[in-house]
Amino acid sequence: MQNFGSNNELDEKGHVLNEQPKIKVKFEPKPKPSKCPICTIEYYQQFFNIEQRDVYMRIRCSILSWKPEFHQCVGKNPDLWGPLWISTTIIFILFAGGNLSRFLLEEDKKHFKYEYNYMYVAVLIVYAMAFIIPIILGVIMKYILKSELGVFDIVCMYGYSLSAYIFVLILCIIPYNEAQWFFLMCGLANSTIFLLVNLWDFMKKNKQTVLIAIPIISFNVALILCFKFYFFRLIYAVDD
Amino acid sequence: MEFEVQDNQANNSIQGVINLQPQVNQVQAQQQEIPIKQTDLQVSSTLEESVAVTLLRDLRQIGVKLRCVLVPTMSSNNAKELRNWDLWGPLVFCLMLALTLSMSGNNDDGPGIFATIFVLIWVGSFVVTLNAQLLGGKVSFFQSVCVLGYCVFPINLGALFTLFFSFFYLKMFLVIGCFLWSTYSAVGFMKLLIPEQKRILALYPVILFYLFLSWFALIV
Repeated sequence: MQNFGSNNELDEKGHVLNEQPKIKVKFEPKPKPSKCPICTIEYYQQFFNIEQRDVYMRIRCSILSWKPEFHQCVGKNPDLWGPLWISTTIIFILFAGGNLSRFLLEEDKKHFKYEYNYMYVAVLIVYAMAFIIPIILGVIMKYILKSELGVFDIVCMYGYSLSAYIFVLILCIIPYNEAQWFFLMCGLANSTIFLLVNLWDFMKKNKQTVLIAIPIISFNVALILCFKFYFFRLIYAVDD
Repeated sequence: MEFEVQDNQANNSIQGVINLQPQVNQVQAQQQEIPIKQTDLQVSSTLEESVAVTLLRDLRQIGVKLRCVLVPTMSSNNAKELRNWDLWGPLVFCLMLALTLSMSGNNDDGPGIFATIFVLIWVGSFVVTLNAQLLGGKVSFFQSVCVLGYCVFPINLGALFTLFFSFFYLKMFLVIGCFLWSTYSAVGFMKLLIPEQKRILALYPVILFYLFLSWFALIV
């Protein structure tokens, strides 16, 4: 027992002699949460530990997709800011741009019917591509194929691979079939090359790991087919 | 006052005893009595007043906060006022915007648009605030939701104007003006709370949020 700053008389053991009102205080450390660390906000704080400069470098790595520099850019610090806000921007561009493209093509502009479904479908497709698919792939790669990359590294990579589509989809507003296919193909090439080049170290290990390229390429192709045939389909008005 | 501390290795806790001087205790109790009595009086008086008086007071508070938020002068009075957050204002403006936009569109889309705008505003404010907090901003959650909700007011005005004008370029000009006004107010509030190197990362979602809402106001 230690006494701090006492002016009162003490007996031999150091207890205070006068009778005074006492409040017993017990400080206990908070019990550590055992159930669900992934459910707390504090867990996700580690993925927002980046600065403007870092985000700019990562987007630059993704646009210059043929250089395998993404892992150097990220280091041990995968982030979720990029995937979340790049995919949300793409949703806005699909919603606004898809309808704008239809509007430019429409002859009867006064009775143009805006399609609000574009937003719901865009949310579904883009968030699936940016989060659900990389989580599944990451879990398969880490626990079945024994990769060194964590699940959130793959989510981060997928998120930044979509950054090329921001520019591509803005250009797709131009209502010409050939132009839209050309831009979408450029976006597909950029995104797929980025993913394959940065996963090359993992894929060249053995024959099994090369097979991971198949779902990566097929999901990307499915994505641009969705973009073309749902959001930027060119329906020419038919005279009845 | 003195306290004794004992380290308890068994359950990893610290036990202590705080001794209070009896005279000090009485004086403190006497000092505490007076403020308690005043708040008791205030509480009983607000319970006894009429509904009209309560509503008018709430409306006046909404008006005061609206002025603080929308005329961004960055004074310390503004900051103090905004610390008393409330969610009435955001709710009123959200409902007004959702109603305006659902009425001006086609009748079929009305309920869908109402639901979309309502969900967009609340989920959007929640996500933008969460983003700012995760980036290390010292921003209280409800205070930020409150400010983002109040800054929806200019877009409300823009949506009301587009009901009355049909010339497209005028509508576009008005909506762009309202978007810039909303964004400037919200950004002015939020940028003070985020460290320098992460500012754009916290402010871009705010811009995207108001862009979404302004786009709805323009196209409906």
